[in-house]
Amino acid sequence: MLTFVAGRFVSLCLSLIVASIVIFIVIEVVPGDPAALMLGLNAQPDTIAALRDQLGLDAPPFIRYFSWIFGLLSGDFGISYTYRVPVSDLIGDRLWVSVPLAIYALLLSTIVAFAAGLLAAIRRNSGADLSIMGVTQLGVAVPNFWFAMLLVLVFAIWLRWFSAGGFPGWDAGFWPAIKALTLPAIALALPQASILARVMRSSLIDTLDEDYIRTARAKGLTRAQVLWRHALRNALIPVLTILGLQFSFLLAGAIVIENVFFLPGLGRLVFQGITQRDLIVVKSVVMILVFAVILVTFLVDLAYGAADPRLRKNR
Amino acid sequence: MKLLSVRDLVLDIGSTPILGGIDLDVDAGQVLGIVGESGSGKSMTALAIMGLAPTGARLGGKILLKGADLAGHTEAEMCAVRGGEIGMIFQEPMTALNPVMTIGDQVAETVLVHQKRSRAEAREIAGQTLERVELPQSRFPLNRYPHELSGGQRQRVVIAMAIALRPALLIADEPTTALDVTTQAQILDLLARLVDEDGMGMILITHDLAVVAEHADRIAIMRAGEIVERGPATKLLLNLKHPYSKALFEASNHVPARAGPPKNASDEPILVARDVVRDYVVPRTSPFARPGRFRAVNKVSLQLNRGENLGLVGESGCGKSTLARAILALEPLQGGQIFLQDRPVDAPEARRQMQVVFQDPYGSFNPRHTIARSVAEPFHLLGAAAPAGSERADRVALALKEVGLDPKDGQKFIHEFSGGQRQRVAIARALIISPALIILDEAVSALDVSIRAQILDLLAELSDRLHLSYLFISHDLNVVRAVTDRVLIMKSGEIVEEGETAQVFNDPQNAYTRELLASAPSLDEAIARRLKHA
Repeated sequence: MLTFVAGRFVSLCLSLIVASIVIFIVIEVVPGDPAALMLGLNAQPDTIAALRDQLGLDAPPFIRYFSWIFGLLSGDFGISYTYRVPVSDLIGDRLWVSVPLAIYALLLSTIVAFAAGLLAAIRRNSGADLSIMGVTQLGVAVPNFWFAMLLVLVFAIWLRWFSAGGFPGWDAGFWPAIKALTLPAIALALPQASILARVMRSSLIDTLDEDYIRTARAKGLTRAQVLWRHALRNALIPVLTILGLQFSFLLAGAIVIENVFFLPGLGRLVFQGITQRDLIVVKSVVMILVFAVILVTFLVDLAYGAADPRLRKNR
Repeated sequence: MKLLSVRDLVLDIGSTPILGGIDLDVDAGQVLGIVGESGSGKSMTALAIMGLAPTGARLGGKILLKGADLAGHTEAEMCAVRGGEIGMIFQEPMTALNPVMTIGDQVAETVLVHQKRSRAEAREIAGQTLERVELPQSRFPLNRYPHELSGGQRQRVVIAMAIALRPALLIADEPTTALDVTTQAQILDLLARLVDEDGMGMILITHDLAVVAEHADRIAIMRAGEIVERGPATKLLLNLKHPYSKALFEASNHVPARAGPPKNASDEPILVARDVVRDYVVPRTSPFARPGRFRAVNKVSLQLNRGENLGLVGESGCGKSTLARAILALEPLQGGQIFLQDRPVDAPEARRQMQVVFQDPYGSFNPRHTIARSVAEPFHLLGAAAPAGSERADRVALALKEVGLDPKDGQKFIHEFSGGQRQRVAIARALIISPALIILDEAVSALDVSIRAQILDLLAELSDRLHLSYLFISHDLNVVRAVTDRVLIMKSGEIVEEGETAQVFNDPQNAYTRELLASAPSLDEAIARRLKHA
């Protein structure tokens, strides 16, 4: 088990290094002069020169890369060009919105998908199964920003249960904050839950056909016992894979959803950073998002190891 | 009172009758052997007794276990019977165990679902039961997972799960079909010992007449959902009455008539392999370790002459299929050379001269191609010389006729054929470019005995008429004995013995060959033994 964790950890570090190099090359090295890009078409040459100096762009790329990385490691993300405050402060504030939103959406989608997939699998071809499959088909097809607007229309404008957007901050109390995150979380969770529920259903149906399920029945286990003790754990293994893959889509979806609901999160920050050509912010936020995805992949790998003893060896 | 009496058991799925009035009796301490080919309903009978018939099945008749009718039991009552009164073991040990649960937990579960005991007590019983099936705690602690065990060891775990509560009846459905012969012999001995020790009744279901001839006290022969003949084993075997039983017996012992290779065959070697080495890279054990190497074929040399049938025998993992792939030039060699008619096997000219027939008649065809297209596929080896138009169609028709199929079958798809017919199509595909050598990799292993006998006859006839050479790869010693001229015995990547087939079988020199031959169930020997006792 220890070698398994160590192996996964090495692969986590390697992925991070590769990702940081790619981000650095895309943003700083490849297309012309970042300073000119950030200042726009009408910038004076001496302003550009001053910014180049401030950004340290005259140093060789090799040195710039390492100073960026060492900065990141020591918590120094640089100073935002548009906000004129440390990027780490900007990110720190917004993490308090984005991380809870991601966890909320993930929990919501996992719980709903688990229940729906389970019900559909054990009542295969029943009315419940057919309706779950129909709804999830829609959930996969509907764009989440459109669904988000629909939620606003119904729950904020007609029913007035929720506000249409904005975030009161955690200072306003736990429940008001959670309430403000609920519609965005539902909008984010819908496509995830739909895909997960379908995977859960087919995986469980396959598992229930396995020989060891028949063996367990021959031991005298009831259908329900077989389902809980033997089928579920095996069926969850492919679901975990999809869960890990879906996380990056969830982060990408958050960029759009945070804009729809005016949430001061990382997604909105990176969106503003891009429109304002604040490459220092963009670079760091993208790196944080990459880190989050790789970390989740690492956790999913560990969960794999816990769920499936066959993976703990020789991998 | 009989331990188990089945009376007029009827089972329909939808409007299809599966079982048509089965009567069976099993006594305590006795083994009832049920023999039949695939589709005869023998497994369905077992599942019906267990109350595990597929959903949608309608049951009729009586299943009396110690006088109580299981057919009238509720699902909850059946759960108490399964694993408690009746244990069952299955054909495929590799998939019969839950891969994410330890073997100790899986055996202990049998105890926990039936008896109010603590987890510790259940694990204690699990440990003792695993000892009984010869998995000592010192080498196979309870926290082992199934993937850490071999097929035979896994089957022992399945047996332990079935007998943990000392049930009155054990149903073994093809318990050794997926296992090697030496493992098969050990598992069958183990089952016989458990029946003796516990005074348990056992139903031993198999397609192999030799297995029941060696182990059963009573035998029932099934065909198409009915029992065609039944009785005490010795009496029944010595005097088979029903034509189907006789046909089954004949087919099990079938030796195809063959002229054999031409006299001067050894002057004309077709295939020559010298010091062939094939290594596999195995996954690294830690991120920093070097990937290991596994030598699957270790310096193997062989020669196969024109018109000769050469057998290659060994247990699973011995490297025989790897060697076949090497001969077919499907994989690179790490040492040695292989020549087909003096050309290296990876040369296009050599590849035109050999074809292969694989074991699985279901998986070796593209389901979307017509038979004619599948059969004509090897023509691409001929390049520009490949026949086109009506000549191509004629050649396909001829090949289909050679293997006993109708040329019109060319327009059909593979799913329209039975397993035996599919294997004929595979042989037609191999014949179409008139190769010198056909490699038969377990080509008859998945077939029922009667179909197998027909295919063996076909192969023998083709070999005589077309002077074909076969490399006949099989784990089935009886078949190899019946059809080959010379035989190679392979173990752990090496040839341990080779010689004339009759000589090797009658007077084996190598210890492993002797063990292999002793383990293989033999109908003749079993009957001879019964005659002596009778």
